[in-house]
Amino acid sequence: MRMELALADTIIQRLPASTSSATETRPSFTEMDTVVLDSVTKRFRHRPALFSWLSRERSGETRALVEVSLRVQRGKVLVLLGPNGSGKTTTLKLISTMLLPDSGRVLIEGADTCLRAGTVRKHVGFAVANERSFFPRLSARENLDFFASLEDVPAKIRPARIQTMLERTGLQDTANTLVMKFSSGMYQRLAIARALIKEPSVILLDEPTRSLDPASTACFWNLVRELADQGATVILTTHSFQEAVAVGDFVAVLHCGRLAAYQKIRNIEVEELRSFYFQTTGELNHIDEFR
Amino acid sequence: MKGLLDKMAAVLRRDLLSALRYRNGFLLTAFASAAELASFYFLARAVGPGFRPEGVEYFPFLLVGTGFYTFLVVGIHSFLQIVQDAQQTGTLEVLMTTSTPAPILILLSAISAFAGHMVQFVIYVGGGLLLFRAPLGNPNLPGCALVFLLSAAIAVALGILAAALQLAIQKGSALLWLFGSGTWFLTGTLFPIETLPRPLHFVAELIPVTHSLNGIRLALLQGANFEALRGEILYLATFALLILPVSVLVLSHTLRRARLEGTLSFY
Repeated sequence: MRMELALADTIIQRLPASTSSATETRPSFTEMDTVVLDSVTKRFRHRPALFSWLSRERSGETRALVEVSLRVQRGKVLVLLGPNGSGKTTTLKLISTMLLPDSGRVLIEGADTCLRAGTVRKHVGFAVANERSFFPRLSARENLDFFASLEDVPAKIRPARIQTMLERTGLQDTANTLVMKFSSGMYQRLAIARALIKEPSVILLDEPTRSLDPASTACFWNLVRELADQGATVILTTHSFQEAVAVGDFVAVLHCGRLAAYQKIRNIEVEELRSFYFQTTGELNHIDEFR
Repeated sequence: MKGLLDKMAAVLRRDLLSALRYRNGFLLTAFASAAELASFYFLARAVGPGFRPEGVEYFPFLLVGTGFYTFLVVGIHSFLQIVQDAQQTGTLEVLMTTSTPAPILILLSAISAFAGHMVQFVIYVGGGLLLFRAPLGNPNLPGCALVFLLSAAIAVALGILAAALQLAIQKGSALLWLFGSGTWFLTGTLFPIETLPRPLHFVAELIPVTHSLNGIRLALLQGANFEALRGEILYLATFALLILPVSVLVLSHTLRRARLEGTLSFY
């Protein structure tokens, strides 16, 4: 408990003075926590290629995440906001075991991603931002069937589960179309369907509405809230304040790999979040210039 | 076990459907194989009946040698190809986060590729023997199957190492190309290794593919019994036992490293 409180203090200390408002909330530390990042640091080292002097390539490292600590409770939606390269996708990759931390711990349902990666993967569904991550000569249904079998979805219930996911993501009419004919938005929906196919308790969504039309976006927001109400923990990255406010319970703002703020956002206005974000990151809000 | 079979079926279904939907690729492969068979047949005729390597006619010698060599090397390459394709399409990272452990996934995909190559091998050799009426003595089929299985196990291990190499340096194909060219020359695919200079003959004896080709020719073309095959079988079995666990360890280590360095999807 003492360690957990210390962890909370670390987070709050990192908040800029300007954001220390009454709406601030410390992440709660209970048994309900399904996702825990504990002082996680992730660096990417660049090793120059052979004959690097020809291209003036330099070695070095990028600090993608620096001692980030956060916790997400069961049934809550955490929105990760931050400029490009702030560490949002890295955070999701660390939770999914795609990456392993250099230091610190990532716990999913109590399982450490370094020590019990297999257990973690059974709990986590990840809709990656890479829309091409499917087998192009298979239909949407065949792709989902393939991934469902890898995710240990029993063969008996698989067709019904796939049909449900296709309907939930609005792909039922194009289920038998080869995915190489899909648009970006359809790929994105299929990625969401794939992430949900094993009914995970933790759902990671990397910019899920980037290519969706407004109507599909609204449907997707409903789906996210529905999943959270059913007890799933959702972590999604976005650049849309509207999306953050529509679906999020909490927002974490990442800036230069550091957790700059962790804030409860239920029932706040989009404008309020926007100004909070720009205050937190210290970036210039050029959007005002276009009004 | 049931879950593993279910996954195997899913991988086979994926690869079969993808292959069938690349119709032109199918036709081109068939045409290329037919052209290769014809060129070997006429090469053997040009060389004449006087040349009988290892006591058999030159055409069946070539046919079995090239067919089995291609099966093994293409099989090894398929592991690397699976990883490379998955890196390029972006499926690798997603596959690595499913509930199926990565080494099993790579192995299942490669078994599927091997199954396809095995069908090609049987059609190639069987078709060649039938079409060109090549003589076949009294083949030792169980011996053939044993040499085949041991050779396939070694190819799986080398393939796993190739996959690890692709993950580690993203240019595994370059090294495999070098390996392929070297073994083509050294392992007696086109001519008996006895014709090589002594130092190269010594190197050829160390390469397992040499023993695979020799074993399969002995069993299939000369009907050699297990006593005559003992040397080849022992060498292949020992090599397989040593290299299989090493390759799995190397792949696990490479995967962990790639996860640490964030290079899983690099290509």
